[in-house]
Amino acid sequence: MTSFKFRNNLFGWIMGIAFGFIMSKAGATTYNYHAKMFLLIDFQLIVVISASVMISIIGVFFLKKFKIKSIVTRKEVDFVKKPYQKGLILGAFLFGTGWGMTASCPGTIPAMIGEGKIAGIFAFIGIIIGTMTYGILKSYLMMERRYDGSRQTKKTTCDDNNCN
Amino acid sequence: MEVLVWEAWIAGVVLGAFVMTHFWLMGKPAGCSTGYGNLCGMMTNRIEFFQIGEYAEKNNSKLWFLLGIPIGGLLSGLTSPEPWNFSFSMGMYDEILPQTYAGKAMWVMLGGALLGFGARLAGACTTGHALVGGAMLNPASLLAGAVFFASAFFTTQLLFKT
Repeated sequence: MTSFKFRNNLFGWIMGIAFGFIMSKAGATTYNYHAKMFLLIDFQLIVVISASVMISIIGVFFLKKFKIKSIVTRKEVDFVKKPYQKGLILGAFLFGTGWGMTASCPGTIPAMIGEGKIAGIFAFIGIIIGTMTYGILKSYLMMERRYDGSRQTKKTTCDDNNCN
Repeated sequence: MEVLVWEAWIAGVVLGAFVMTHFWLMGKPAGCSTGYGNLCGMMTNRIEFFQIGEYAEKNNSKLWFLLGIPIGGLLSGLTSPEPWNFSFSMGMYDEILPQTYAGKAMWVMLGGALLGFGARLAGACTTGHALVGGAMLNPASLLAGAVFFASAFFTTQLLFKT
């Protein structure tokens, strides 16, 4: 009997391999399809994305309707939705700019490396730098909030004349 | 090397089936960009953000998903008619990007940094928001997906038409 963690990671890895293969065969790792899509010359990727979303809407509907249990977790599938978060529009704008500049996205870049595309290696380094930058900023903001919080608690105790 | 690309609607149906299979197998939505945070947290333990919350456990399926993708790309390359090789070619972009290798590498790295930072600020990437968020008809994801497309459209138009 394998542990949950092992099964989870193994299936995650297999799904990753499948994802990389499909992305590549769909043309999402070929630079020209991105350029042609945004120059409105060829709609390969638009058709891929639209067909995928349509099929998966139906799939999700049935998974929900029959309360299908997941293979790995053995519980009902968790359709957790990404919430609206502050900065979503700005983040999406920056992301789109990066997409236009590199004709790739975080899911296709590792597949491009597998195909031997050297630009993919540099794009990968770039994503690590960008993610790292976000983490540093976020950690700083968390620290600052904690500092403000501790100052405020002291102040309220002072107002209650318990400062001594 | 050019990979053999499937008919668009076939690839779309297969991708949709993949999204659904991922829900069924893993019990949760598929995503790519979160896994980069796992890598960041493994490179250094001095950044608090990559040690707490969803990054408390870093050896997880999101990391292994990301590690699987290059193998999928390699398999796709090996099953294409042209032989597998390393290449710095970027197709149509070769005409408009910096002409030296170093210039091209820096350009792509800057674009990659925008992808990484933007994906975290927006909460997910094209996969998490457009493909999977679209499948769940999540309003926040549809909004993010629309902005992704609009912004990339604008950037590409600027790059090629001015």
